[in-house]
Amino acid sequence: MPGALTPERTAARLCELSSDARAAVLVDAAGSLAGASDLDPERARVLGQLAVGLFEAVDRAPRAEGVEPPEQVEAQVEGGAVYATRNPRWTLAVVARRGTLSSLMLMDLRSVLAELEGAPPIRTSVSATVAGDLPDPPVPELGQERA
Amino acid sequence: MKEKRKGPIGRAAGLAEGVAATVRRMQRDREPRVLMYDSTGYARLLQPDARGYESALDVSESMVRVVDGLEP
Repeated sequence: MPGALTPERTAARLCELSSDARAAVLVDAAGSLAGASDLDPERARVLGQLAVGLFEAVDRAPRAEGVEPPEQVEAQVEGGAVYATRNPRWTLAVVARRGTLSSLMLMDLRSVLAELEGAPPIRTSVSATVAGDLPDPPVPELGQERA
Repeated sequence: MKEKRKGPIGRAAGLAEGVAATVRRMQRDREPRVLMYDSTGYARLLQPDARGYESALDVSESMVRVVDGLEP
């Protein structure tokens, strides 16, 4: 299908969708790097290995009887946040800024993986109003002195 | 039911409570944490004393460092 998302483009696609995404990698079921966003090859390879390691770590966590292994992981650490999602074929991980809205990032991860698996492309749109058209605010900004 | 304070002192106290709540929320947001989600989106917090917690945090910190251009 023309325009279908490829593994090589998937990580970059995620970074295009989310302004909070700093870098992303896609790893196949064998643990090999299948694609990365704008990273040099060595850093992309290391990031891919770490993404696999992240799921290995959480898979070691105790689970109650009948609880399935996690499909998505979110880790908030100093300096950033890491989100990752997986299905039987792929693992997609992203390093994002602190303060990223988790629910949105997790949904973007799921949506991009779904697109890779053949789901319809994610539709994006922009506001009809450009910043230059906005009228002045009706009240003075806080902290600004009146003229 | 909590009694509502009126007047300027009450308003100031309400403002202070709001600021304190915001600071608490910001501090809580800065704490390292690991959350795991199942396929339905149900989240479970990985407890700090649980197996895998330290490793997950170490790996995540390394990922951030790699993107920062530092050694993992």
